[in-house]
Amino acid sequence: MEVKGENVRIGYGEHIVIDEIDITVKKGEITTIIGPNGSGKSTVLKALTRLLDFKVGNINVDEIDIRKIGNKELAKKMGVLPQRHQAPPDFKVKDLVAFGRMPYQKWFNGNSPEDIEIINWAMKQADIYDLREKSVMTCSGGQAQRVWIATVLAQQPQILFLDEPTTFLDISYQLETMKLLKRLNRTSGIGVVMVLHDLSHALEVSDKIVVIKDGKKYSEGTPAEVVTPTMMKEVYGVDCEIVFVPGRTNPVLAYDEII
Amino acid sequence: MEAMGVSKLKKTSSWPKVIAVCTILIVLICAMSLVSIAIGSAGYSIPKIINAMLSDENSTIKIIVMNLRLPRVILALIVGASLAVAGALLQSVMGNPLADPGSIGVSAGASTAAITILLVFPHLTASVPIFAFFGAGLACILIFVMAYDNGISAIRIILSGVAVNSVLGAYNSFLQMLNSDDLQNVLGFLNGSLSGRSWNQVYIALAYGSIGLFLGFCCIKTANLLLLGEEMARSLGANVTRSRILLSAISAFLAAATVTVVGMVGFVGLIVPHISRLIIGSDYKVLLPVCTLLGGLVLLVADTVGRVLIQGMEIPVGIVMAMVGGPFFLYMLKKKGKVYGG
Repeated sequence: MEVKGENVRIGYGEHIVIDEIDITVKKGEITTIIGPNGSGKSTVLKALTRLLDFKVGNINVDEIDIRKIGNKELAKKMGVLPQRHQAPPDFKVKDLVAFGRMPYQKWFNGNSPEDIEIINWAMKQADIYDLREKSVMTCSGGQAQRVWIATVLAQQPQILFLDEPTTFLDISYQLETMKLLKRLNRTSGIGVVMVLHDLSHALEVSDKIVVIKDGKKYSEGTPAEVVTPTMMKEVYGVDCEIVFVPGRTNPVLAYDEII
Repeated sequence: MEAMGVSKLKKTSSWPKVIAVCTILIVLICAMSLVSIAIGSAGYSIPKIINAMLSDENSTIKIIVMNLRLPRVILALIVGASLAVAGALLQSVMGNPLADPGSIGVSAGASTAAITILLVFPHLTASVPIFAFFGAGLACILIFVMAYDNGISAIRIILSGVAVNSVLGAYNSFLQMLNSDDLQNVLGFLNGSLSGRSWNQVYIALAYGSIGLFLGFCCIKTANLLLLGEEMARSLGANVTRSRILLSAISAFLAAATVTVVGMVGFVGLIVPHISRLIIGSDYKVLLPVCTLLGGLVLLVADTVGRVLIQGMEIPVGIVMAMVGGPFFLYMLKKKGKVYGG
């Protein structure tokens, strides 16, 4: 599966955030969208997942106009974890994950044996199967994020979209979340598209990085192609070096010393 | 916005607990019904009532119970259940525990229609229930039309609700001021009362109430889904705008149906869902049944208290609810940190 946007202009009402962008995201790949605050990276993610309608251009899911796909049909193809989401804190983990089966059910259906099997599978994938009887509010921040990832996994999507999945998490949970996403991608071939603030995470896990600056695509490519001192200077206004560490596949960022 | 639910809650209850809670509530309702039937200006002991009811002879007790007290008890149960479920559904739409049918104009619309008929067209007094019902519906539609802008957000409903409620409220006060000598009927309507209701009104409430409650129970999944927030609900395939309108319509229907039969009774839709969440959790699968039972129980208790509190005088149930509900509302505000949505 691929989601392809061409000449897409996106905005809220009269306010245009993204002028024009071409972007393609695919199953099997980890695509990361980066850019400074207010550059419009979350806006792109919302348009690709139809949470926000676009003004001009077209977005196709496997050659089909995204606007013509039914709500539930789309929810079976793509799972979306918005930046802001809320859970009734007293819900059990397994009950929250069960929401992921909604696109497959009519309003009167309960969970079928097949649904329950998939819910269990999703919880195991996200390493929260042991927490299934606990309430969401007793989960730690990292666990709660994994519960949400399990919820969207239960949708059995081909591509997972996540808007800043590591915000509000401390570093160990951030790494845990990144590891989980990469493992899911590598083992089941699910596509991952995410907006990230942390460039070291982006460097570490991405197959492809798309850089957004001022409502336009600045560049795209592999981490090594995209994350360069020039890009950092032009997009973020930051001086840094890209350092290759022996024994690591991907380079790391070293920001200039603060004197 | 905090998530729906109360943070001091334990996890959503399992089915055995749900069944236990419902059983206890049913027992309490039965006990309270007997008490309510027994006490009154002519008091009878419960065994005496049961004996009279079981005998074939048409005793005074039987007449009083059958014509006055039993319909009143049943009405209290239906109205309480309807209002509680109406409140619970609306709270899912608004993502806020302080939402009640009043905030989507049901009360203001019904009272505008009723007051207009009672004061300006008194010859139509018999049709007040019908006008009140449609008044409630119109006010509700008006609020939603004004709130609509490429979808419906909770904040826009609340804002347009404030606007419509304040204009209608001003109109109501103005009419009452112009007719200050003739307010008996109006006060009767505004301070919802269960007194002197006949079986006919019970049938009306039962018909509307059961339709509304049935529809409400059909929307359990939708109500739960809205708890996850707009974007999450949409990405799970829900049509959020349609869901919000549907749930609000059912809520307005339930509330408007009660208004036509008993007038305005506030706070049930606010207090009962809140207590129910504390008891059983915020999953609508278990919340709605508990709300239904607890709503009936609360209104029955309030009505019975209103009947006996001052000897020789009945306090309308609307006033009792407001007296208890106001302080309870403040208590909820005080505990804002612990109550969801605060």
